[in-house]
Amino acid sequence: MRDVAIIGVGMIPFGRRDEDSLMDMLAYASLKALDDAGLGDKKVSAVYVGNMGAGIIQHQTSIASALVDRLSLLPAAADVIENGPASGASAIKNGLLAVASGYYDTVLVVGGEKMREITGWRATDFVATMTHPTVEYPYGITLPGMGGMFTRLYMEKYGVTREHLLAVTLKNQEMGALNPYAHVEMTLDREGIYDSPHAVVNNPLAADPLHLYDLCPVSDGAAAVVLCPLDMAKKLSKTPVLIAGFGQATDTHTLQERDDPTDLKAVTLAAQQAFEMAKLKPADIDVAELHDAFTILEIAESEHVGFFKKGEGGKAAAAGKTRLGGQIPINVSGGLKARGHPVGATGVAQVVDIVWQLRHELPENRQVKNAKTGFTINFGGFGNNIVSFVLKRVEP
Amino acid sequence: MPLDMELEAVLRPIQYPMPPYPPKVITLANGKKMVVRQAVREDVPAILKSVHPCLFIERDYYDIVSARLYGELLAWFRYRVKSEFCLIGQVDGYLVGIVNSRMENEKVGMSYHTLAIDRGLRIGSHLFAAKMEYHLEYLKQDEVLIVAESPIGFRRWMIEYPLEKTTIPHELGGGDSYRLTREIYFNAKPRLVVGDRPVPPELLAEAEAEIKFADDDTIRERISGLKGR
Amino acid sequence: MKNEISITAYQCKKCGRIHYPFHNRCLDCLNREFDEIKPRGKARLLTYTVIYNLPWGFDQRFLIIGVAEFENKIKAMGQIKAASADGLKLGMKMRPSWEPVRVQAGEDVFGLKFEPID
Repeated sequence: MRDVAIIGVGMIPFGRRDEDSLMDMLAYASLKALDDAGLGDKKVSAVYVGNMGAGIIQHQTSIASALVDRLSLLPAAADVIENGPASGASAIKNGLLAVASGYYDTVLVVGGEKMREITGWRATDFVATMTHPTVEYPYGITLPGMGGMFTRLYMEKYGVTREHLLAVTLKNQEMGALNPYAHVEMTLDREGIYDSPHAVVNNPLAADPLHLYDLCPVSDGAAAVVLCPLDMAKKLSKTPVLIAGFGQATDTHTLQERDDPTDLKAVTLAAQQAFEMAKLKPADIDVAELHDAFTILEIAESEHVGFFKKGEGGKAAAAGKTRLGGQIPINVSGGLKARGHPVGATGVAQVVDIVWQLRHELPENRQVKNAKTGFTINFGGFGNNIVSFVLKRVEP
Repeated sequence: MPLDMELEAVLRPIQYPMPPYPPKVITLANGKKMVVRQAVREDVPAILKSVHPCLFIERDYYDIVSARLYGELLAWFRYRVKSEFCLIGQVDGYLVGIVNSRMENEKVGMSYHTLAIDRGLRIGSHLFAAKMEYHLEYLKQDEVLIVAESPIGFRRWMIEYPLEKTTIPHELGGGDSYRLTREIYFNAKPRLVVGDRPVPPELLAEAEAEIKFADDDTIRERISGLKGR
Repeated sequence: MKNEISITAYQCKKCGRIHYPFHNRCLDCLNREFDEIKPRGKARLLTYTVIYNLPWGFDQRFLIIGVAEFENKIKAMGQIKAASADGLKLGMKMRPSWEPVRVQAGEDVFGLKFEPID
């Protein structure tokens, strides 16, 4: 197997992009990544598109074929990878395997989703289609609802408090406000969303015990990366980033069939695989992007992947250990919480943000100093399909 | 041409006396303080300057809501509607939201419009709640008739309160009215109606001194999504 | 009969693990043969949430949803019949019933509901 590196990345600002179609967004992010890779008009052998909902939301299928046509990348191989909210990272994984195998040399991976062209009710229903079609979906369960049930158990078992969740909200909004690609570039205030009696309106319960600002927004957006073998990357790029490890694991479809529903086994396994392949430990990681669709997930994932012991993640967040400059900076981009969560784009966007960190390209107020290693978790379903990466800066 | 005041006297409707809405201050999610106060007729030209750029934003029915609001406020300013009132939200003096409404009669309120000029901070929710507070607690009315012109309005009013469906036509001419009764209002009040009184004098003085408004582009950008890109 | 709880769970004939919903092979031992079992008795509330942003098709302000475990260990999701979540506690006893849980294409869809037993 060949080592695989990222030689180009691109992202478009997330948010509500009424003026762009899904295909527009995929094309813009792809071109940015191709230009960043400095490929010029060189051929791309294959394209992997991470997307969850085009068939449902846009009533459009075969979007990878449409994209290669739109970008004049014909006759490149083209596939859509659908793995719920982990579609983006799954697409990267498939691109990675294709290059590692020796079969393809240059691969474009793009993740994108356009969710804001439907109403909130429809978007909630769309996301809920990943729940079990007979024993969960008919009841009106939503993904935030799954998050609420999980949070209740996690609080009970590990003593996570609303203060801990609040620390994640405030940190990620603060960082998102500095990120020009973030959907919600707005800092929040502790008094306004928690201490003040007015917080009852500002930050109402959304999926008890989770509140409005514990949840990520519904977003439009796209992000892309270009992959090639490491030896080729060293010739093509001044700042290639090595995909040093990856992992993917699954768990039961329904939460109710897990022996301990607070145990996100697939997160632990995916992370272990990625660390093992990279020959690194959690303590070796300089910066991480975790999948904080709900604030509780950032805390739970930070424990399951090994940054903190079980029960310590919430306290660590409240103590500032996950802030920029802390023990392990998590979601310096603002995370899903602030960057937004266009489901198919998120896993790619996480990797793009880590690549920028490892190339030391971010402004000082967002750059983890001298970052050499990065880590991502992209969380599909409610923890039933997890993809993780360990990335490493390649020193020139 | 000078107004023919004799004819005006015929055209101008009688104004119901309305006790004033006492101003309040609300802490927003970003920590800023929003002063909610009743606009006076002389405030209308300044308010219209902020409504104007919204006339051309299709997103979330801002065009319809602001066009109608513009007309309603103008009608109030020029004495062509009876018993209308307008409450405004100001942050650092800047106008961030507008609600207006009318007394259909002594017992029944007719809710007009809610326009949030800054978004993502539940300003619309706060101001709509203030409007209902005025109808039921200060004007002492029995009920308010309400319609929604956007999906967001439908979620915020019809579902969150939740309002009662009726077959009573609404003055805006759209779907049948939903009704906020005293019972629904007082049940919803603890979770939807907030604000502190009295407003600290310096905050109130700042709000009353001038209704500041952002330039058209800034207003359009604020409304077009949380950031608008 | 409409009111009978129309749920079938699957108990592995080899290791006894209970599955709901159906799996073609046992999650623990990969055995492919199961006994069909029905939920029995009252249920115990394992977790719950109150959802305020509901999907298309639900017009109410909120919906309380939880997962409960029957006396014979079948675990299932259901809607909770309560005016609010105030009286709910993890571990409390619930009375199960089989009732309409939503309307799809103009038809009632039946499912589990749980009501707290005082």
